Amino acid sequence: MVLIFNEMSAMNLIEWRDEFKIGIDEVDFEHQELIELINEIYDEAKTEGSILAVSDSLGDIFGKISAHFALEEKEMRELNYDQYEVHKEDHEQLLDSIRDIMDEYEEENNLDEEDFGNRLKDWFVNHFSTKDARLHKFLQH
Amino acid sequence: MFKLRYILGQIIAFIPFAMGIGYFSDSPSYTYHDPEKALIMVSFSHASEHKDECRRFSQEELSAMAPNMRRPMDCSRERVPVYIELMMDGQNLLSQSYNPTGLAKDGAASIYESIPVEPGQHEISVKLRDSSRESGFDYEGNVSINLDAKELFVIDFRKDHNGFNFQ
Amino acid sequence: MLALKLLLRTGFEYVEDCFDIIFGAKWNPFYQLGALGWFYYWIVVVSGLYLYIFFDTGVTQAYESLEYLTHEQWYAGGIMRSLHRYASDALVVMIVVHLLREFAMDRFRSARWFAWITGVPMLWLVFAAGISGYWMVWDQLAQYIAITTAELFDSLPFFGESIARNFLMDSKLSGRFFTLMVFIHIAVPLFMLFMMWIHILRHASPKVNPPKELAIGTFSMLLILSFVKPALSQAPADLKIIPATVNLDWFYLPVYPILNDVSGITVWITLILATIFLMFIPWMPPGKKTPVAEVHLDNCNGCSRCAADCPFSAISMEPRTDGSNYKLEAVVDADHCVSCGICVGACPTATPFRTKSNLSPGIELPEDKIAELREKTIAASEKLTGDDRVLVYGCGKSLNPAEITNEEVGVVTMPCIGMLPPSFIDFVLSKKLADGVFLTGCRDGDCSYRLGIKWTDARLASERDPHIRKRVNQDRIGKYWAGLTRSKQFFNELTAFRQRLKKLSLLETETAAESKQSSEKVDV
Repeated sequence: MVLIFNEMSAMNLIEWRDEFKIGIDEVDFEHQELIELINEIYDEAKTEGSILAVSDSLGDIFGKISAHFALEEKEMRELNYDQYEVHKEDHEQLLDSIRDIMDEYEEENNLDEEDFGNRLKDWFVNHFSTKDARLHKFLQH
Repeated sequence: MFKLRYILGQIIAFIPFAMGIGYFSDSPSYTYHDPEKALIMVSFSHASEHKDECRRFSQEELSAMAPNMRRPMDCSRERVPVYIELMMDGQNLLSQSYNPTGLAKDGAASIYESIPVEPGQHEISVKLRDSSRESGFDYEGNVSINLDAKELFVIDFRKDHNGFNFQ
Repeated sequence: MLALKLLLRTGFEYVEDCFDIIFGAKWNPFYQLGALGWFYYWIVVVSGLYLYIFFDTGVTQAYESLEYLTHEQWYAGGIMRSLHRYASDALVVMIVVHLLREFAMDRFRSARWFAWITGVPMLWLVFAAGISGYWMVWDQLAQYIAITTAELFDSLPFFGESIARNFLMDSKLSGRFFTLMVFIHIAVPLFMLFMMWIHILRHASPKVNPPKELAIGTFSMLLILSFVKPALSQAPADLKIIPATVNLDWFYLPVYPILNDVSGITVWITLILATIFLMFIPWMPPGKKTPVAEVHLDNCNGCSRCAADCPFSAISMEPRTDGSNYKLEAVVDADHCVSCGICVGACPTATPFRTKSNLSPGIELPEDKIAELREKTIAASEKLTGDDRVLVYGCGKSLNPAEITNEEVGVVTMPCIGMLPPSFIDFVLSKKLADGVFLTGCRDGDCSYRLGIKWTDARLASERDPHIRKRVNQDRIGKYWAGLTRSKQFFNELTAFRQRLKKLSLLETETAAESKQSSEKVDV
């Protein structure tokens, strides 16, 4: 029984936590969407679906994250957020990292899912719990 | 390095631009009247007489009209043209007819003429006809003047101010 | 008509090439004609305020007060008067050249008719302002202007009494006339300022200030001119004489001598017909209207980058209409959109890396889709060989693609270079479709759609969103803003770029070989 249960349930790479909410509805909505997408792609990578499919998905995530960051930055500017520059810098770095992952994937055609998963998870969770959390605190005042 | 070139460039280009502005802002001069001559101007507006005499409507005509249109006299609105003759030292400078303005030709005629003449002593005689008479004139003015070069002599006409006056 | 336009445009570009060398693109006055116009306008207004303080309204006081300023106060009032006159003359020059240039460069098409049409009345206003200004001096030039202008108005059928008669006899003229002139001379430029504002209303970040160095340069020019040749009055007006010879300001009074030979009414009709003709220019052929930008709501989250980048204020952010969680959506005003595509370059979802979903970005031009741009990119780079393969992205307003493809270089064009999302460059280089990407477009400082070059430069320098990814090797990006007339320099730059790429490839193979050697050494 237990074995079957393990095979069937795919562990989410990133579990949604309410701490990921910053308090702006549309941004929080996108956070949820993005986490779902990342979890999906991690699943795909693990089950070794077509390599093409994973790189396709990466491209889409890249587009979606770019748009998400653009929206978040707009909100931060409008609210005169004091940590805007630092937060934006983090965004730019993340986009560079994702591009790094995408290119590595292309070149090696082989993905170390553990490494891939860890990098994504670390980065996102780190970003969410530091930069976004700070934003959330700012918005509460 | 570049900056120096650009500053020099400004200097090089702005000099002719400034010269152009400086020159054309008041040159070349323009001569529109011979400076050796004087100028006689005839300038006035005058409403002439109406073309036809007023006449009474007959009884039949009155009853034929709508009640709100009935009036005793039928006066034509149209005025006759104003005819001017200007003589200087016996020479004819101007003989011209001026039509009244307005759609119904019932406005004043406007006269505005410029005639360059030699400076010096002159006898000026100006006549005006503003009625429907066939010959002769209704108003007349004579004056003796001594004009300098470039001097402006204006002939005005005001019916209620004894006709012609001169400036 | 079209031949004339092409002739004018080529003429302008050659002159501007010279000025780019001696002034530099940033200070080139031809890219700043409107801004210089505004600058001269302000000089006229400020000097005018000074003159206004000292000007006396009265038949003799007008002239005398100006004589005092010009001679007794030559160091201040005199300079102000000269600045006032010469800046006004410079303003007319700017307006006329600006009009010719905007015509030559086709800057009146599509939604830009608005700027063109609002410019035309200003021709009438500036001349009315200048003429009323000269009238106020009440010297013999003013006398001539008064009589001639009055005669011009008299030639119109709706005046009963002749206006000109008022200027034939001293008795008819009073101080109140000068008060009227002052009023006109202030009201007309004020209304013109209002029109100037409307004229630029539809332009995002309009250029109304020339660069500081150019402003200083041209102001110094006017100042020096004012010292060298102070503005003077001519002999005082004397209604008893006819001035006969006058020194005309040919910038404002070129029409007046014509009135000597041609009747007033003919001049009116000509001027009015010319005005109507000018007004119709935006609709002269060939006027093909390309479809305006379209928003795809399923890819738009309201980030507003497109609205921020649109040079013609054609995009606004409005409350959401599709029931999604987002607050805002981009809305394109079809009356303002000129179909340049700069908004597409700003959109974060316009990235060619997206292959899973259908590549339809939040905003795009229906006739220049992003998916097509990707296809063209791939197609253009397929045939390239060697280690110095270059893909050129250029704008439709400048280069002729046929000229370039001869060079064995791939070319992709779009309406404006600002339409290129920076991630396309990332795409080409990371997928090794080419060894280098070369950008080209209109001349630097003179983007046909106003801000395409400025935004592209800023995006590549990570100064404006969307930033190009830092990991993209900028050594593999080249650019030369060529316009129509600089094909020789363009090809030189392109060749030099390709040589740099060759060296780069060589260097990379060397370092790769070295690191392989050193890692082998370590193994041993």
